[in-house]
Amino acid sequence: MSRSIPSLEVGVSKQVTRREFLNLLGAAGGTAAALKAGSALGLLPHTAQAATLDLRAANPANRKVAILGAGLSGLTVAYELSKVGYECTILESSHRPGGRIFTVRHGDLIDEIGNRQYCEFDDEPHMYFNAGAARIPSTHRNLLAYCKELEIDLEVFINENKTSYLQDPALLDGKPIRNIDYTTHTRGFLAELLAKSLSAGEMDQPFTDPEAETLISLIRSFGDLNEDNLYKGSLRAGYASGGFLEHGAQKDIIAMRDLLKTQMGRQFLNANEGDTGPMLFQAVGGMDKIIEGFTNHVGHQIHYRSMVNAVEVKDDGIDIAYDQDGTRHLLQADFCFNCIPSHIMTGITNNFPTQYVDALKYIRRGTAYKAAFQAKERFWEKEDIYGGISWMNNPSKQIWYPSAGMHKQKGIMLGAYDYGDGELHTAMTQEQRIEAHLTDGEKIHPNYRNQVEKPITIAWHRMNHMLGCSARWQRDRNGWTHEEEELYHALQQPVNGRHYMIGDQVSMHSAWQESAVMSAQWAMADLNQRLMA
Amino acid sequence: MLKTFLAFGLCMACIGGTSAAEPEREPFDDRYCTTCHGTDGRGNEGVQAPRLAGMEPWYLRRQLENFRADIRGVHAEDREGIAMRPMATKLTDESIDDILGWISSWDYIPAEATIKGGDPLRGRGLYSACAVCHGADATGNESLGAPALVGQNDWYLVTQLKNFLAGYRGAHPNDTYGAQMRTMVSTLRNEAGILNVVSYINTLSR
Ligand SMILES: Cc1cc2nc3c(=O)[nH]c(=O)nc-3n(C[C@H](O)[C@H](O)[C@H](O)COP(=O)(O)OP(=O)(O)OC[C@H]3O[C@@H](n4cnc5c(N)ncnc54)[C@H](O)[C@@H]3O)c2cc1C
Repeated sequence: MSRSIPSLEVGVSKQVTRREFLNLLGAAGGTAAALKAGSALGLLPHTAQAATLDLRAANPANRKVAILGAGLSGLTVAYELSKVGYECTILESSHRPGGRIFTVRHGDLIDEIGNRQYCEFDDEPHMYFNAGAARIPSTHRNLLAYCKELEIDLEVFINENKTSYLQDPALLDGKPIRNIDYTTHTRGFLAELLAKSLSAGEMDQPFTDPEAETLISLIRSFGDLNEDNLYKGSLRAGYASGGFLEHGAQKDIIAMRDLLKTQMGRQFLNANEGDTGPMLFQAVGGMDKIIEGFTNHVGHQIHYRSMVNAVEVKDDGIDIAYDQDGTRHLLQADFCFNCIPSHIMTGITNNFPTQYVDALKYIRRGTAYKAAFQAKERFWEKEDIYGGISWMNNPSKQIWYPSAGMHKQKGIMLGAYDYGDGELHTAMTQEQRIEAHLTDGEKIHPNYRNQVEKPITIAWHRMNHMLGCSARWQRDRNGWTHEEEELYHALQQPVNGRHYMIGDQVSMHSAWQESAVMSAQWAMADLNQRLMA
Repeated sequence: MLKTFLAFGLCMACIGGTSAAEPEREPFDDRYCTTCHGTDGRGNEGVQAPRLAGMEPWYLRRQLENFRADIRGVHAEDREGIAMRPMATKLTDESIDDILGWISSWDYIPAEATIKGGDPLRGRGLYSACAVCHGADATGNESLGAPALVGQNDWYLVTQLKNFLAGYRGAHPNDTYGAQMRTMVSTLRNEAGILNVVSYINTLSR
């Protein structure tokens, strides 16, 4: 049986009964009970607190530590162990520290193999681009604790901006619409649908009357429904005209049937939840200020352009061979913390146990890709956009407007971000990449091509000394297999109590700085335990 | 282990001349092979990059030039070739010379046998066709343009044979040697044949 919802001009093919609706939500009798049980068992989260490292047993007498890779995890180890008196040496094959925390500024080398670039952005503090990590969730408390301790200035990162755009050729002939139009109307539609299914009289009454009343008012407010629980448009989407000195005129509704033409809502509505939900931060002046915070303390320990070539774990220590300035050197240490990416480590001579090597070989890598432009003027501000992300249903995927430098003349904007599968752009020449992003961006900003200049692109799969982005352990969508869990735990354990693999690659939540920090803390705590025993 | 490794390693050539667009800018050179191809070019299964140490300079030059000229690594199904091609695209003749000199300073250390499931006895019969060019001991033959197979990473040999068989490699009109390989590899017929022949190559003394 079909029933029409007049204001939304859509037919709902099957009437949803309240029971079905509740079953769908999994709420019939379940939620309250679950919550009570949860709090009784202490399952609800404690107050946020960063880990406090106890390294008392890690007696520094004659203890030398080799740290392979000046990634965030390696620097965390260097910083902590130096504090308790260890002698740390960091070997870094690149010319710079930070690995996947990489802020690009005027004159910087982007060391992509086969596509080296120097960045030509104007030389000003706000003219930078975070080519790797860019956002810090407020729940990533261990990373934030270091930001506080190292006095790194933070500011809010603007992830969602209601005035930014959504563009899809399937939607309204490709005319970009504002985030606020999509979200307001979609919420209205969903709310009306919910309200209708809730008020059909013939259904069971799993809710008490006051509950049902609260629920309906919640739904009404969620979608800005009128008194009859119908969605008739909303001033939340902004005004067609007026609104300040005159009454505001409401914008036309975009029909749900039209909004349903785009599949992008799935990503778009999800983009501001979970790890990327508010509140997010960034380091003032570029994410590598975090790295600078560490190198202010341990920078003198880093040997740059020093490529590790062999790791031999022995009974009484560890030998590391590395090349620097065309010469092979030997570094001998008592302990080693290694954040060299797993797939690069497999090509480095070592005497690790078989299962450990199997684990290193098992991990695959994401192929993240980013591109950025210098904007000659901050044209987005003329369209009421300050920070945030526009979404496009084309390979460039996103445009990011900078979260800092408001009202300055120029700014650096992200012109493409393929976080999942960046192989398409990776395979292109620099010229093809740039042309692709200009063509894609023009769909939102018609004059884009003339407004931007000095492009840079970063294909992480080709970045020297990195060759990929985040570690991928899990191959099956449905979860980790038993074999994966075993390999993971094998890699987390030290070889001979002396060699630790670290980095977000040794976590179950890769692609986050917090995981890199926590893996380092786990390894140091484990060492401390062993030394105490 | 490490001692011998260090002793051999020390003969490595000095990093060559660097180029830079502006004096104050971070310099770089084109010696980035080891990022993928592993310590002293011994191959890295983790990124499916084969052993270069011990590879004949004439063969290496030909492959680098083929990659640079879009003769190799262009077929959409040749994943590893596609990964390699852009690494070679911007190499100058000088860089190629420099790289070949650098690579020749690495010691030949045969790769470990890793593949399972092949039958070397059957592979032996199949190998007779390969032996014509690559030699009975698989040490290669420069005058025929056939590189050594012995000591190469077996997973790499398997991938390349599969690619030849499927036409992912060797199909370009200017790839003369590749075309020859495509004809010869048809005698292996299928994946089982490939595994058999490579497991036979693994038995040859390295
Ligand atoms: C595009 C992108 C976006 C991201 N966005 C976010 C984000 O918004 N928020 C967030 O929290 N995280 C983000 N991340 C993830 C974050 O950057 C990483 O989790 C973190 O930086 C990893 O640190 P690590 O310690 O594992 O070391 P890595 O950064 O992996 O560093 C490894 C180091 O080892 C060095 N090395 C390699 N080979 C050798 C060798 N042979 N010898 C010596 N040294 C060697 C490398 O040069 C490098 O410095 C993002 C990453 C990328 C790429």
